[in-house]
Amino acid sequence: MNTPHLESASETTPSAHIQTSPEEYQRICEFLYREARLADESKYTEWETLVDDDMVYWVPRGAGDFDMNRHVSITADNRARLRTRIAQLMTGERHSQTPVSNMRRLISNVEVFKTAPNEYRVLSNFVLYELRMASTRTIEIWPGRVEHHLRWVNNDYKMFLKKVMLIHGDEPLPSLAFLI
Amino acid sequence: MGIHREEDVAQLIREDSVHGSLYTNDKLFELEMEKIFYGGWVFVGHDSEVPAIGDFQRRTLGREEVLMIRQRDQSVAVVSNRCAHRGNLMRIEYSGRAKYLTCTYHGWVYDLGGNLVDVPYPGGFTKPKSDLGLNSLRTEEYRGFIFATFAPEIEPLEAHLGKAKILIDRACEMSPTGKIKLTAGWVKQRFDANWKMLPENDTDGYHVNFTHSSFARVIDSQYDAAALGSEESLVSQTIDWGKGHAELDFSRTYKSYLLWLGVKNPERYAEYLRLMKEQYGEDKGDQILRNGPPHATIFPNLFLGEMNIVIFLPVSTNVCVQWHTPMLLDGVPDDVNQRILRQSEAALGPSAFLLADDSVISERQQIALRDRADWLDISRGLNRSEIDADGVTTGHITDEVTNRGFWNHYKAVMTAEPT
Repeated sequence: MNTPHLESASETTPSAHIQTSPEEYQRICEFLYREARLADESKYTEWETLVDDDMVYWVPRGAGDFDMNRHVSITADNRARLRTRIAQLMTGERHSQTPVSNMRRLISNVEVFKTAPNEYRVLSNFVLYELRMASTRTIEIWPGRVEHHLRWVNNDYKMFLKKVMLIHGDEPLPSLAFLI
Repeated sequence: MGIHREEDVAQLIREDSVHGSLYTNDKLFELEMEKIFYGGWVFVGHDSEVPAIGDFQRRTLGREEVLMIRQRDQSVAVVSNRCAHRGNLMRIEYSGRAKYLTCTYHGWVYDLGGNLVDVPYPGGFTKPKSDLGLNSLRTEEYRGFIFATFAPEIEPLEAHLGKAKILIDRACEMSPTGKIKLTAGWVKQRFDANWKMLPENDTDGYHVNFTHSSFARVIDSQYDAAALGSEESLVSQTIDWGKGHAELDFSRTYKSYLLWLGVKNPERYAEYLRLMKEQYGEDKGDQILRNGPPHATIFPNLFLGEMNIVIFLPVSTNVCVQWHTPMLLDGVPDDVNQRILRQSEAALGPSAFLLADDSVISERQQIALRDRADWLDISRGLNRSEIDADGVTTGHITDEVTNRGFWNHYKAVMTAEPT
């Protein structure tokens, strides 16, 4: 698996905006909300339709300077492994998500950067509340930042990177078998 | 059942069963801190984590904060991470590099070995500086694996490792240079469960078909033949090496090279195969490449998890943490280590195909054991285990030989007279 090319944080300067229209921004926010709702509701098959063939689903150990090929990640799925992850959840015997967690996440601070005529880099903040139904039935809070790389194909967006940088990614985390 | 004295612990552990209160009793947890984590050898970290002088790693042994530091003479010391003056934590980061250790509270300065070298405003401080260093732990290493103890008088590390030294040898010999590199960082996983469930579960060959049924259904892996077949078809073994060290030995199952790395076409890593045979010779090289690394726990807190190194951290009676890092190999092509990294994420950690489920099962056990659980059965295989002339016990892969080995040693340590 290749490390996705990620630019540094300096892209947040206005000059990095290649003109995104209010309509594009609006549609991208709608994509993020749909992606979040499908993940929250453990609708794995529908969530998977949002993913492109070169998808990388990456949860490094936080927002630090992590290299996927030198550092161990919490999750580092290429498309094939993500397919297996979803298939495992779909067996109904993934004990860590049986029953599935009750979840809701809030997304904000959405910034969109157009990187190519049909490609976008999207940064957002999130807080996810998870009720751990499969074990302690206690609430777990998962705060962090997400970087989505999106592509406009066939009149819709597809993800080809979702990088989730947990605030507490380098601290002890409980079972994270759901899609974050 | 109240635990007040050492002899009570003996009553909670029988050959064929253990009492549920072993996982839930707070007094027992305190006794474990004293007897196991402060009274014996515990794994701290690896030589490769502190390559340069002044490199340090912050670790927790029992509940004590320590620093593992590379010294100016190239040795590795483990010193208390607590200022001898007023108890401030010396370093808050998980790792870093220092010339000296300087306390942020009143500026006391220690050298890398924990010796006090400077006290600001010296006019009011008349004690000899040698009276107030950072407590230095007795530290010994075996092939780069660094262990420490708070008990200076106990047996040497090699006596504690006993016959299990061969497990560390086997791990190191996965590299053509005999060296491993723990440089990929550690993922930390929390279990709302008692720490003893970790070493027990990691050497339990019986649960794989059930706890990991979802994994088995979607992934074609080396464990299919090693732990998922019928009782009659399984040829893997459980091994009690003594001293609480226990192994699941899958090697008898493996018919070709690198199956332990989930590799079906070993020629994909031809250069690694060549390097191994060049270094170890045809026979031993062949054996290592086919058998693979150990899957074994070293009492009390180290797990040689095939191509991973794992540390168990007790937090309280009901909470523990597991750290893991891929066991990267020195002297191999990069693609071998890349493969090890990706295999590590697949198996271990909060989102892994395996450990995510293990952690939830442990948490369910902890809930169910909360109060009035009495005897839990560990008799499986008592009818068919075998003991050899060296005192090593082996059994069927699904048998609780390993768990009995753990509890047997636990009982000995917990009931031992203070030294």
